[in-house]
Amino acid sequence: MFSSSGRRIDRVTVLFLSLVAVGFIVATFDVRSSGDGVAEVLREGTQSIFTPLQEGVDFVTRPVIGFVDGVSNLAGLRDENERLADRVRELEGQVQATEALEEQVIQLEAILGLAVPDELATVAARILSSGPSAFDNVRYIDKGSDDGIVAGQAVVDEDGLVGRVDLVSAGAARIRLITDPVVSVGVRVLSTNETGIVTGRGDGPLRLEMFRAKEAVYEDDRVVTDGSRFPPGIAVGTIRRTAAAEVGFVLRTDVDPAVRLSQIDFVSVVVGWSPIDAELQDDEDSLSTVGGG
Amino acid sequence: MSRSRVVISLLAVVVAIVLQTTVFSPGRIQPLGVGPALVTLVLIAVSTQIEAEYLLMIGFTGGLLMDLIGSGTLGLWAMTLTVIAYAASRLKGRFGDGPGYVAATVVGLTVGGQVLFVLLGTLFGQETISEPELVRKVLLPGAWNLVLTIPVFWVLGRAFRSTPGQWAA
Repeated sequence: MFSSSGRRIDRVTVLFLSLVAVGFIVATFDVRSSGDGVAEVLREGTQSIFTPLQEGVDFVTRPVIGFVDGVSNLAGLRDENERLADRVRELEGQVQATEALEEQVIQLEAILGLAVPDELATVAARILSSGPSAFDNVRYIDKGSDDGIVAGQAVVDEDGLVGRVDLVSAGAARIRLITDPVVSVGVRVLSTNETGIVTGRGDGPLRLEMFRAKEAVYEDDRVVTDGSRFPPGIAVGTIRRTAAAEVGFVLRTDVDPAVRLSQIDFVSVVVGWSPIDAELQDDEDSLSTVGGG
Repeated sequence: MSRSRVVISLLAVVVAIVLQTTVFSPGRIQPLGVGPALVTLVLIAVSTQIEAEYLLMIGFTGGLLMDLIGSGTLGLWAMTLTVIAYAASRLKGRFGDGPGYVAATVVGLTVGGQVLFVLLGTLFGQETISEPELVRKVLLPGAWNLVLTIPVFWVLGRAFRSTPGQWAA
């Protein structure tokens, strides 16, 4: 039996199935094009439309949310204050020791004739918004190509590596966090000086894989960037659990990110370094080695 | 026929996306580290105000916008929200049975939508199913949406009040 309401239900179901099919085709197309081409243009265009709206809402709500957050954290602030005061005293002692070492380094560099590289140029930016779901590992910042930001640049905060610039429009840019499964970071374990690759898992600890590790890594060992994809020496995290290398096997363990990614408000984009610099440096080194040999 | 209801519904979805990415983003209002799924809740709320065909179109459009400003594969949220819109259009007839039914629908469709997104993401090569915090990310949006049901339904009810009469379900 086909009543008028029956036809309406059929029409709805047909439309539903058609839209799901379109969604399936769009997803397949996006996977096959690796998110480039038309998809990238659409993403940039959409973000350009949303950025002013997000800036407006952020401008209005940030003070209110900050106030509510401050009141709710009042009890914890006292403990945090005492902890920070202890930390400041400890760091002041370290600064004095470091100053003496810096003097020695300058003298040694002068003796050896070494050129000291300038500090990397950075652009400070504010986190404007995040992805729309709990499964998105991205943040949007309020600086874009107008400020010299291009895709691929490293993003850091005072604690270490936050992620890399992924998509750029004139006034905003998208950062893919180091917890995103598509982000891999070449790293060095400071205690052993051996290298590996850290990969995001969506949330929580990162996965560290070391393919030619000869030595064990221990809990709380520090892990920094090795300079292959990001500027060298940026803190990535600390080893979560001790792991030993076994002959013929990859050393695998977890790394706790140095940065508290759920708390970041401001970041710096490293605009004065790109992987190409590292490649050129490698080429120059190999040429000078060949020339010297 | 009231086009203004469709426009209001679409605007409500856009506002929900903006709020989701700013006010309910990490570091702002995210109790226990996960925010609500506001777009899903808005879609359920407007389901009683517009025809099913328009609801499906708005669900698909809202999902596509989420895909475009998210980090995942395009089309996954579009499919997910289309399914949620279809389910909501089928279930809205019983919203009059009482607040318990509305609450169950909100929680069920929110959690179901999160699960569907995880499955679709896995099908298209994302590692969403192996995320360490997966259960929390799937269940908590349902709980927060339940908390926000009354204010969201109230606000949208006020917004639709000034428009010409409701379409027949």
